[in-house]
Amino acid sequence: MDELLRILSETCPGIDFENEKALIDDGLLDSFDIITIVSEIMDVFSAEISVEDLVPENFNSVQAIWALIEKRRN
Amino acid sequence: MSFTSPVFLGFILFFLLVYYLLPRRLQWVVLLAASCVFYISGGIRMIAYLLITTLSTYLAGRLLGWLNEKGAGLSQEDKKLLSGRLRTQKRLTVFFAAFLNFGMLYVLKYWDFTAHALGRLIPGSNLPVLNLAIPLGISFYIFQSIGYVVDVYRDKYQPEKNPFKFALFVSFFPQIIQGPISRFDQLAGQLTALREPNFDSIKYGIQLTMWGYFKKLVIAGRAGVLVDHVFNGGTKYDGSVIAFAVLFYCIQLYCDFSGGIDISRGIAGMFGIDMTINFRRPIFAVSLTDYWRRWHISLGTWMKDYVFYPLALSKPFGRLGKFTRKHIGGTVGKIFPTSLATFIIYFIIGIWHGANFRYIAFGFWNGIIITSSLILTGFYSGVRKRLGISDQSRLLRVFRILRTAFLVFIGRYITRAPRLLTALSMLGATFLNFHPERLFDGTLLTLGLDKGAIITVLAGIVAVIYVELLQERGIEIRKSLEKRSFLVQWLAILVPLTAIILLGILNQEYISAEFIYAQF
Amino acid sequence: MSSKKWIVIFFLSIILIFAMVAGLNILVDPFGVFGDVLMDWYSYNITMNPRVAKIKYLDRHYEEYDSYIIGCSATSSFPVNELNSYYGASFYNMIMYGADMKDVELTVSYMLENYIVKNLILNIYIDNGVYYDQGEDTLTNNLHPKVSGASRLSFYGKYLFLNPRYAISKISSRRRDTYLPQPFDVFDISTGAYDKRARDAEPIGSLDEYIRSYPVFADYPEARIEMSQTDYCIKSVLTIINMCREAGVNLTVVCSPVYKDYMAYFDPAQVADFYTKLAEITPYWDFSMSSVSWEPRYFYDGTHFRNAAGTMALARMFGNDRVYVPEDFGVYVTKENVASYLETLLEVPEITAENYTARVPILMYHHLDYEGNDTTTTTPETFEAHMKALRENGYTAISIEELVSYVDGNGQLPPKPVLITFDDGYLSNYELAFPILEKYNMKATIFIIGSSVGKSFYRDTDYPIIPHFDYEQAREMVDSGLVSIQSHTYDMHRWQPFEKGAARTSILKLEKEDENDYIRVLKEDFLKSSAEICENLGIHVDSLAFPNGQYDILSQAVLTDLGVRVTLSVERGINTVIKGLPQSLYAMKRLNMNESIDTDKLLEALCS
Repeated sequence: MDELLRILSETCPGIDFENEKALIDDGLLDSFDIITIVSEIMDVFSAEISVEDLVPENFNSVQAIWALIEKRRN
Repeated sequence: MSFTSPVFLGFILFFLLVYYLLPRRLQWVVLLAASCVFYISGGIRMIAYLLITTLSTYLAGRLLGWLNEKGAGLSQEDKKLLSGRLRTQKRLTVFFAAFLNFGMLYVLKYWDFTAHALGRLIPGSNLPVLNLAIPLGISFYIFQSIGYVVDVYRDKYQPEKNPFKFALFVSFFPQIIQGPISRFDQLAGQLTALREPNFDSIKYGIQLTMWGYFKKLVIAGRAGVLVDHVFNGGTKYDGSVIAFAVLFYCIQLYCDFSGGIDISRGIAGMFGIDMTINFRRPIFAVSLTDYWRRWHISLGTWMKDYVFYPLALSKPFGRLGKFTRKHIGGTVGKIFPTSLATFIIYFIIGIWHGANFRYIAFGFWNGIIITSSLILTGFYSGVRKRLGISDQSRLLRVFRILRTAFLVFIGRYITRAPRLLTALSMLGATFLNFHPERLFDGTLLTLGLDKGAIITVLAGIVAVIYVELLQERGIEIRKSLEKRSFLVQWLAILVPLTAIILLGILNQEYISAEFIYAQF
Repeated sequence: MSSKKWIVIFFLSIILIFAMVAGLNILVDPFGVFGDVLMDWYSYNITMNPRVAKIKYLDRHYEEYDSYIIGCSATSSFPVNELNSYYGASFYNMIMYGADMKDVELTVSYMLENYIVKNLILNIYIDNGVYYDQGEDTLTNNLHPKVSGASRLSFYGKYLFLNPRYAISKISSRRRDTYLPQPFDVFDISTGAYDKRARDAEPIGSLDEYIRSYPVFADYPEARIEMSQTDYCIKSVLTIINMCREAGVNLTVVCSPVYKDYMAYFDPAQVADFYTKLAEITPYWDFSMSSVSWEPRYFYDGTHFRNAAGTMALARMFGNDRVYVPEDFGVYVTKENVASYLETLLEVPEITAENYTARVPILMYHHLDYEGNDTTTTTPETFEAHMKALRENGYTAISIEELVSYVDGNGQLPPKPVLITFDDGYLSNYELAFPILEKYNMKATIFIIGSSVGKSFYRDTDYPIIPHFDYEQAREMVDSGLVSIQSHTYDMHRWQPFEKGAARTSILKLEKEDENDYIRVLKEDFLKSSAEICENLGIHVDSLAFPNGQYDILSQAVLTDLGVRVTLSVERGINTVIKGLPQSLYAMKRLNMNESIDTDKLLEALCS
């Protein structure tokens, strides 16, 4: 979780990831950020995230992203 | 039948009445009938392409649905054994549907361009030029249908079983000509729902339609006269006049396109259907990326979901990312693969606009600006920190908006000029031969528009920007209007309606008496 | 309000706006299709929409007419008043700009059915072989559905929901309406012809000057035009002939003059084909090519001949020898002579400018005094030297009457004509100049200011001025047969230093003066001046020297209206007068004479 927060704030500085619940819906993260984050996650957590996973629900909050990682970790 | 023809208004009125008068379960049939009438009115032969797309994507959807079910029904062991094969079958299905439809689109839209380009590159190659008529809205309905196929492939939802209901999703008349490109899960359910007449949504639909007509007829129609005049004149005009014409082109393009979308959404609204938005006040974009998130949103989303994500997450890009992070490192190494994918997206968006080198150049222009701004992000924030400018600064926001507007403005030279070279020389003239006094010495009145028309365009765009500024600040104009007095509400009908009727609909080519009786 | 109510109000608003637009278009009626109840402004309506507005006009006024001349815009130049006197009939000029023979056929058919038609003149222009049944769907070139048989619904619908700018433009034009035609009202209502008063008031002089004003003649655009519609045109002409025969209408066919450079657009074989086919079905008066076609001054522009040329054409048709007509202008073409006529049609005629133009210098004197030293005073010695020099160098002093007869084609001018004029009517003219004129037997014309005849003091004051001769002295001069007295206005030549408010120092409209008031003042002034001269001296006044030489198109047009044939300016130069062109007598140039001009300078100026 801390590792994830580090990745996130490194990619997109200036966003309060811990409390933000609508990262996508409020337009705080764009597709470019998502791809950067996802490729980082896949690297660090060796999680297999596919295109189907790239829906707003999975990226609106740190918790959601963490849940996705858990699910896709092999 | 164009949106601006009187026949179209009669058509809408007729089907609206039928829609709400017939039994509810027939409503979707009425919509399908209206869509057929609308599409056939543009030429009966064009319907063949529409049928090919509808049928192929419908079948692909059914097949994928069947394969999905088969996959879901498998036991744990069978899954391991068969999932690879199932996936290949699904992929093949998507591939065939995409190949057929995009191949058709390519032949219709880009074949002649290829033939010409090849002919110039390789003098011996004599590809035949086909001169095929491009069917109305073909790129829109193909994109929409392929999006559906991919979604079913991704098992996002069940495929549509009723081919006629599916045909309605592909051909729904308000959107078929110029979008927005809708998502099946967002639109299809609404199309087939049973509806009681909802006067609120009818009223909202009318209001949105009026706003669209105002932008399209009053502003865009006029601005276009001046734009055509100057661009047909090539490079004989002074830089300032060219810049003015490009400004008018920006106005024309935005008002025409977003106005058309407003009409589409407004009409759909009258039928109780809420179609996806396509523009979110691009005038206030703070960066080119932001601009593309606000301009033609449905195309951007489509590109993101069906091209950008798959591309960026594909294995080659993954390997590329590992490679660049290792060997280049730093920010550049990190974002290089994503930037490359971005670049490819804008290249495709460029080509999507039309078959011409200048659209390719337009794609490159956007790609270069956007990727370079990604690379410069760190630098910019450093500069801001050193200057002590807060990220929330209003002035910074205005600066960014103006900078974005300027970049978009430059890009418009490329899309409007008849040829890429002309665009470049017009761009050159703007910067090297700029005489602002030309804007005030009466030259502007020789470009096909009289003073009244120029003022109408400028006043119109000021009104549009003002309304969008209110929207940007989150004010719901239509809601707040409802609380006002009867007179104010009536004026809010009468004034725009009068403008549309007098300055739009009844604005036949006006010949002054002086001109009628030329000189004898 | 509820959404339901909103929707109802929305649709009512649409109906309201369209109803208001329709109401505006019906009431203001910018194209004259609904009867123009508010303004009743036919000259505007006919300008905007000749075919329809003329029918609308005639439906109400047809009883005033019994004869028609019909055709495209060139038809306008056959003057209706002259047609009336030649025919003893009451003509209406049914010109429709851009009319093709289909328009004409349909219109004739309608007129024969609905109006009184005794005589019909059908004017055919070479363009009729080029365009046929254009089926115009414009606002301005439509036939009335009554005439064309087209759908009334779409016709009236088009004018009902017009762009409101047309109505607004008509209203604002109404406020800018003036005495002379403006671009928005170029037709004369009662004759139906173009109102050419303004163009016909423009002075015409040398060819060079004319071409400078109308450069189209110097640089005629090049083109080639195919006469592909000849057969359709001829068929329509035949239909018209048959309709007229059945209705017992006296039909005359004419072909109006074509400017030579325009004729060059056509293939001679196609031209010959056109005229031959026409001659096969009807005899016609042909004016299309002659020496007139080679003289730009007989044309308003590259395609329209002048009313003055129309006058000549009618004189040829009716054998009126009191009007100048060039020898080769107008041939009655028949089946028999068409072949031989066509052989000469496109040949270059022999044009000798001396045969129909003359150079006429006009000398302008004012006061004679033994101590003449200002710009307008001459000593008797110098004046006598001038007269002597003129005489010895073969100049003949002519009268204005002779000048007018020359232009009218009723007389020739002597080889070296000169016109001697005096402005203002000073006593010195009688005391000092008259004896010298008598001595050398020179004719002269004196332009007197009616209000200062016999006066030695400025009007209504005791400021002394140069004394003026009285009518008794004038009569003595007139009786000699050498001097004519003409008008220098009655009282439009005041002198500002002696006046309190803004004085009328010239014939021009005062600043801020109402145009109608001005025209009334000008007319009254001239009529008073000419009545007094006629009463005291028995002279018919037909000439006027502009005070200070100032004039404009409006003043010239008003004077032409009053029958003034000759006007004199003070612009320096020698005049070219042209037979058949009354405009060559307008605002004639003069050479100012005074003490500083010796005989050498005089002779030099006469030759310049």
